[in-house]
Amino acid sequence: MMERLRQALAWRWRQVERAQLWLLAGLALALLPHVGHLPWLLILPTTLLLGWRLGFELKLARLPSRPLRWLLVGLALAATWASYQTLLGREAGVALLVTMLCLKLMEMERPRDVAIVIGLSYFVVITVFLFDQSLLMGAYMLLVVTLLTTALTAFSRPGASVPQRANLRRAATLLAQAAPLALLLFVLFPRIPGPLWHLPSDAPSAGTGLSDTMSPGNISRLSDNDAVAFRVRFEAEAPPQNRLYWRGLALTHFDGRTWHNPNEARRDLSAPRSFDLTAIGEPVRYTLTLEPHQRRWLFALDIPANAPPRSTVSADAELIAHDSVNTLRQYSLQSYPDYRLDAGQAPREFAYLHLPPDVAPRARILARQLRAESRDDADYVQRVLGFIRQQPFYYTREPPLLLDDPVDEFLFDSRRGFCEHYASAFTVLMRAAGLPARVMTGYLGGEDNPLADYFIVRQSDAHAWSEVWLRTRGWVRIDPTTAIPPERVESLADLERIDPAYAARSREAPDWMKRLWRKMDFGWDRLNNAWNQWIIGYDQGAQTAFLKRLGMEGFDWQRMIGLLFAGLGLVVAIIALQLFRRRPLPRNAVGEAYARFCRKLARRGLARKPAEGAQDYSARIISRRPELAPQVRHITLLYQRLRYARSAPRDGLRHLQQAVRRFRP
Amino acid sequence: MRSGWWPCCRPCPSPDMPLTLRQRLGPARFLRGEGPQAGPVALRQRRVFILPTRQGLLFAAILLLMLIGSINYDASLGYALTFLLAALSVVAMLHTYRNLLGLRVDIGPAEAVFCGETLRVPVTLENPAGQTRFAVSLHFPEQAKRVCDVPADGWARVELPLSAKRRGRHALPRITLATVFPLGLFRAWAYAEFDARVLIYPRPAPALPLPRDSAWQTDLSGDRGQGADDFAGLRNYHPGDAPGHVHWKTLARGQGLHTKQFGGDCAEELWLDWRACAGDTETRLSSLTHWVLAADAAHFRYGLRLPGQTLPLAHEPRQRDRCLEALALFEGDGSP
Repeated sequence: MMERLRQALAWRWRQVERAQLWLLAGLALALLPHVGHLPWLLILPTTLLLGWRLGFELKLARLPSRPLRWLLVGLALAATWASYQTLLGREAGVALLVTMLCLKLMEMERPRDVAIVIGLSYFVVITVFLFDQSLLMGAYMLLVVTLLTTALTAFSRPGASVPQRANLRRAATLLAQAAPLALLLFVLFPRIPGPLWHLPSDAPSAGTGLSDTMSPGNISRLSDNDAVAFRVRFEAEAPPQNRLYWRGLALTHFDGRTWHNPNEARRDLSAPRSFDLTAIGEPVRYTLTLEPHQRRWLFALDIPANAPPRSTVSADAELIAHDSVNTLRQYSLQSYPDYRLDAGQAPREFAYLHLPPDVAPRARILARQLRAESRDDADYVQRVLGFIRQQPFYYTREPPLLLDDPVDEFLFDSRRGFCEHYASAFTVLMRAAGLPARVMTGYLGGEDNPLADYFIVRQSDAHAWSEVWLRTRGWVRIDPTTAIPPERVESLADLERIDPAYAARSREAPDWMKRLWRKMDFGWDRLNNAWNQWIIGYDQGAQTAFLKRLGMEGFDWQRMIGLLFAGLGLVVAIIALQLFRRRPLPRNAVGEAYARFCRKLARRGLARKPAEGAQDYSARIISRRPELAPQVRHITLLYQRLRYARSAPRDGLRHLQQAVRRFRP
Repeated sequence: MRSGWWPCCRPCPSPDMPLTLRQRLGPARFLRGEGPQAGPVALRQRRVFILPTRQGLLFAAILLLMLIGSINYDASLGYALTFLLAALSVVAMLHTYRNLLGLRVDIGPAEAVFCGETLRVPVTLENPAGQTRFAVSLHFPEQAKRVCDVPADGWARVELPLSAKRRGRHALPRITLATVFPLGLFRAWAYAEFDARVLIYPRPAPALPLPRDSAWQTDLSGDRGQGADDFAGLRNYHPGDAPGHVHWKTLARGQGLHTKQFGGDCAEELWLDWRACAGDTETRLSSLTHWVLAADAAHFRYGLRLPGQTLPLAHEPRQRDRCLEALALFEGDGSP
């Protein structure tokens, strides 16, 4: 039974138009990366439709009738609408494209349908890049493009007897020949900073990055995500590790459980409120390459002196981009590690002092008590830090859940937590004593890639700290987590987390395997960084800089287009020259091979007489040496055909040469 | 052997003759080709044209969309993919052009056929280059296509169908050679026009109204009843031979189609006369054609009388072809 089924399938398999299989394989692989963000409501029918088409090709199923097709289109629209409540925008648009493309498979018959399906399959590849432009995805998609191109090749030369490996090889060859042209276009095509128009903005998907709210006590486990948040290249020497505070968001409002920033939504970007920044010392210059995190904020070393293009500095000295960061974003910045922010000018906003009335009663008592003992505000800050240092506070990544009043429970009962707990409790204690304070979130530290001069900041480097406003010094960064003595940090890994300097020391691990692993890891990251710098980050600025390095300074786009076309013409001419090069005719090779044959016979006393035709010569030799007849006939025939026939047999010359070489009279 | 084509007597423009700029750029060459030519036609640069196909235009539109999408979303890999595909189509264009360039086209003699049948013109494609030409399609205007691959340094032969619509000797229409290989985005094409004529016999009348001639009648029927004594030999089968005379045994042995020839008693003479037929010119020609075939199959000595032309009585293989040719080329309104 199974054997018969297998045979029946094998027979059907041989009948299938191979071009269709290439297309289905390419399309399925192009759709695969979308599985991550398409809803199941759409993944399931898409898979079914692909399977249906494959069944049709195997002659196991029939294509749906026209009314059924329209019904399917209606269902697909409904499913997309149900999933996204819209048909526009990036996510819904991609979903719509994918489902409609798969429905098109149900009526793909004429060459035009095939062209539409293959063209749109290429388009699916580009939609994948809207979500993921990593090196691995790029390599994977190159494979997909090769498959789709093979499908095109196979369709232009239909028939089941055509060797399919040849089609694959031809597609790869065509792509390889296209590569230099594509590279030229990539480098010289003028980059227009997008977007051309604003599409209905997508709801921020669950990004891997920093959240804009913070609820210590709600999560009982700190995630350990090693994904890269951003990479930084310093122009000069990097500041010490423990000063690498990467400023992200200021959380100003606290409702007793959650910190957030209500200004986020209604920030007026056109009129940024000014603040008073006094820089001390030299600025640090660096270039930051931010991985897409689908939110609008950017990160900068505390504290940025300027805002990168298409972004604004907010009142809380955060960097807010005009659009959410959906693609890799690269920007150059200056930061001042030493600064005075709003010194002598009390924050106007009451929010920095606000605490909900019945929150943290015990903490308020503690604050009042400590404040009464302090000489001034600065002394009070030190006393609170001292409280954390002296009391049995522990750093743990798996703190107990805090149910009623997270601040009081943490400060007086559990005393176990990570940076969020400490930053939250510390800020509450500041506000309870009448000091303006806010929670800052961002990243701390960064890993120096020893194979290249840049730092890697990962999601696991996420950190929260406090900023307190002191009358004489303005906003001061205080990291209460650092007040915990090392012996009260639960694991070595956590000690590394909160103390980057310690991490750097412990990195010289004695274990060679670990070292090798680390080295490979850094090597891979370096590759990714190069990919980001050169491919993903190649925007208008990078283009201008690159052309400048090539000595083409101050190019406007007209001259760039001119250069582009000149280059294109040159490359096309080179390719054409390769393709249309005339082969030197191997006419003499035929005569030479025959002459060699004659010489071999002459050594045996059978020299060709002058003016003796090949045919007569052959007859004479055969009459004298009948045992040579098959070889002599074969060589003579080949020679005559190569010499006198209007068209030569394929590989004839090679055969003649081979036969003469093997001829031993 | 009957030959369907004759070399042309008109002087033909040399294929190597340089064109004036006006000739080179004018639309005529584009639409009509370069005129007939005697020998093999080499598809050189100036003969091979190329334009995007509908699929190619669609592909270009999708590329444009991809470019806009890349700009809008600032997707660098999107740019890269768009440019790769654009470059791919440029390279494909060169390959498509090369797939046709340099081919040499020649035709062989086509067997004459009857009107309403399909002429099979043997076309030889010779490939002097070191790479195979894939999926080259050939066709006469508004006729079925034939697709073939031409191996490197080799040749391919196809029989190109041409439906015979009118009797007479006609100039062979031009052949269109085209290819969309390797990606189907561009179509390169070339016209090859040969100075050759094809001969098309009149359509034989389907049901023969027998002439009132008694000799014809009796001899035809008498001959059918003869035994093996009269069997004279075999000859190659011609279209129109009576199925009863086909020698099926040789066919069964795989030696091809032969017709039994009967002789000996075929002393009867038969004049196929224009005046013996009824109807307009073409109907009469059809009837005469049928009679020629029947008389030839029955091994009569027969002759043909047409207005202004008489073919004497004869019985030899050439007689049938001579008569059919005369019928094919008959020009006149039938008035003596």
